Amino acid sequence: MSVGLLRYAGRRILQAIPLLLGILTLTFLLLHLAPGDPTATYLTDNVSPEVVEQTRERLGLDQPLPVQYARWVTSFATGDFGRSYVGGESEVAELIGAALPNTLLLGLVSLVIIFVVGCWIGVIQAVRQYGISDTTLTIGSLALYSMPGFWLGLMLQIAVSSSWWPDALALPVSGMIDVRSHASMSLLGQGVDVARHLVLPTIGLGLASAAGIARYMRGEMLEVIHQDYIRTARAKGLSERRVIFRHALRNALIPIASLLGLYLPILIGGSVVIEKVFSWPGMGMLLYDSVYARDYPVVMAVTFLFGAIVVAGNLISDLLYAAVDPRIRYE
Amino acid sequence: MSGRFGRGLRPALAGLAVLLVAACSDRGDAGSRGGATAVRPDVPEVERYGGTVVVAGRNDIASMNPFTSLDVESLQHQDYLLFVTLMKADTQEEPLPYLARSWRFDADSTAVTIELYRGLTWHDGEPVTAGDVVFTFETARNPAAGYPNRAYFDAWAGVELIDEYTLRFTVRPAANLFYGWTRLAILPEHILGDVPPEELATHPFGLDPVGNGPFRFVERVPGDRWVFEANPDFPAELGGRPYVDRYVYRVMADDATQASALRAGEVDLLTTASPANVSRFEADTTIRLIHYDDRDYDFIVWNPRRPMFADPAVRRALTMAIDRPGIVEAVQEGEGTVAVGPIGPWHWAFDTTDVALPYAPDSARAVLAAVGWTDSDGDGTLDRNRQPFRFTMYATPRDKWRRVATIVQSNLRDVGIDMAIEIREIAALQPLVTSPDRRFDAFMLTWIPDQTLDDRAMWACDQLAHPVHFSGYCNPKLDAVLDSLLLVTDPDTYAGLVDRYNDILAADQPYTFLYYPSHLAAARVELRGVEMDARGNWVSVADWWLEPSAR
Repeated sequence: MSVGLLRYAGRRILQAIPLLLGILTLTFLLLHLAPGDPTATYLTDNVSPEVVEQTRERLGLDQPLPVQYARWVTSFATGDFGRSYVGGESEVAELIGAALPNTLLLGLVSLVIIFVVGCWIGVIQAVRQYGISDTTLTIGSLALYSMPGFWLGLMLQIAVSSSWWPDALALPVSGMIDVRSHASMSLLGQGVDVARHLVLPTIGLGLASAAGIARYMRGEMLEVIHQDYIRTARAKGLSERRVIFRHALRNALIPIASLLGLYLPILIGGSVVIEKVFSWPGMGMLLYDSVYARDYPVVMAVTFLFGAIVVAGNLISDLLYAAVDPRIRYE
Repeated sequence: MSGRFGRGLRPALAGLAVLLVAACSDRGDAGSRGGATAVRPDVPEVERYGGTVVVAGRNDIASMNPFTSLDVESLQHQDYLLFVTLMKADTQEEPLPYLARSWRFDADSTAVTIELYRGLTWHDGEPVTAGDVVFTFETARNPAAGYPNRAYFDAWAGVELIDEYTLRFTVRPAANLFYGWTRLAILPEHILGDVPPEELATHPFGLDPVGNGPFRFVERVPGDRWVFEANPDFPAELGGRPYVDRYVYRVMADDATQASALRAGEVDLLTTASPANVSRFEADTTIRLIHYDDRDYDFIVWNPRRPMFADPAVRRALTMAIDRPGIVEAVQEGEGTVAVGPIGPWHWAFDTTDVALPYAPDSARAVLAAVGWTDSDGDGTLDRNRQPFRFTMYATPRDKWRRVATIVQSNLRDVGIDMAIEIREIAALQPLVTSPDRRFDAFMLTWIPDQTLDDRAMWACDQLAHPVHFSGYCNPKLDAVLDSLLLVTDPDTYAGLVDRYNDILAADQPYTFLYYPSHLAAARVELRGVEMDARGNWVSVADWWLEPSAR
């Protein structure tokens, strides 16, 4: 990696600090603009107003907003995300530590599916332009692209759990593991168990996006395979496989590679609905539950992390672009 | 151009198919679907042991600390799985021996001596003694601990430790005296005794508990599951070891996901089955529905501080204008009964001869006209003193409430009332309806009264400022009934008071009591022994067992 690129990366990281502070501030303001607070669940006649006030004091909700804000920023700066207002008041870091790897797993596997499946389909479509394969895959990918991922996930869930679904093709419809037997499985068995549970959520999260990548890849390949150097390669007697994969695909992948970083935040954000549908214990579920419970510390921490992932994704995208295209130089 | 890459599609699809088949080859222990399952009608008790039961619920268990718990999931897992309570309750909410093996009142009923079971231990091996009960009691009554249900022990003045297994409480006469002891889990004094009460809420015990009940805590994965295992040392005199080896509570927020997971055999029981899934479950021979009545009722609050709702006659007319039977059919799929008042059929003293106001839009129009609400300008909306009968109804975002609100809007439109609907989640609704100035016209909600019927906060004249005194209703006659309900112990007198409670509110209609919803749970047929009632979904958990084919 060149010095210029390192300097560029460093500059981008420094620029991210005020950006993340802005995200934190905006999230704080939006949370407190929304009516209600965590004591909304105390809506019973047994709970006296004194107990409610006691709770608000303990959680620091009785402090003026600037004081609360200053406390947030200071604690975030020191890496302390505080305690959840609900759920036994666990450490937020513990909650995130449990959820983040699950979301990253789901997101990264979906990312692989999106790009591997999408690029493969795009290449076939370009090579067989206007043929039956191209037409069929175009219709299929447009149909998939039009479907909301969560709807596709729900339909798959209903189908797989129906009595008519073949036992031989059975797949788990919820969760991340088989809670009955996972603990007694071997390491390999546990891996397979998680992999089986990943199938439906990654299809829901990734298939529509794969269709989009396929369309994009098709266009890039078509642009490349009609270039003079490709005709030259064929004229030299190279095999068609070598021409496509060694020469054409490599250049067509340049803009596609830059999309890798951009899709990561899309997947992380899209995980909120997919994780709820499939009860996947990740950051999406955590954020969803925390917003409804007005669990401010968790919402702040998760939003901050999502923001950091977006920033990182954009940076990765730019760095990848420079890495794959020697013509790109960052000063 | 070679056709080789078009042919590349076929091997790719074949490879994908192979991978899918390999991944799908083993369904694990989810059991069969669709076909008949081996459910033997009469399985000897010795053959009932074993297996893991998996239960799905919408909400996570917040904590195993009863001093900070308000949610049903937490409280019931504390009371029925992890801990013992001092007493149990029967279906009539009468106290039964549990940790307290016997009790006797002094001659003047100002004190009760309780003898504890000897031989129960905490899951860390320490004995359960009277010291634990004293600790639990004193902490519950300590304002610094912030126990939300402190009022359960208002009639319990103090405690004296007689010996390691005997206590003597000073009490005053009260109805449902022992109710609090059937609901509060006994906590370990040897673990929490030195913790300052104000620090109990954040103590790690809530998430890493040590119990003394029929199940032991194994692990918790935040937002996903709690795992318990059978306590093999739980005394036979207190119920003995549960039949199942392990119990897993899974968090599944989505109704459709729950239904799919149940049908696929990934869970054995849904504690709350959505009425929208009833037809799917009824058609599935591997699933059975469990119907039970709980204490809750659905209602509409009319804010009498708004002039249009100040007159009880208007409120009665509104109730008659709303097709409550139709709502039960359309929204609850017939699972419910039209409500009379706040006390429903779940209570032993409910008067089954009470008749709810009928659905009678013509009568409603007549009543409204009699008090001056007519369509004087012919625009289709009633008016009085040039003020149209127009208001906003708040409802929470659940599908049920959206549908109820739509039906109510249509019904009221038929009698000339213009109702707008505004959807607000509960956290956003709470500040409006609990604020001192009650910033709402009307809203709809579900309420779950206590068995103790201590509803003074909601109705009493001296509780108008209480956050849940939504209606601002004040009736000294009702106050007298509510006060008496806390003191009277004679069953016949008590039943009369319950009836009077319902009658007064039925006459004045500060709320429109919509219906008492019947509750539905859904279980796989291989899960046996499940009983549910107003005491809770998990009241019989220690008796649940799985058919051998499902273990």
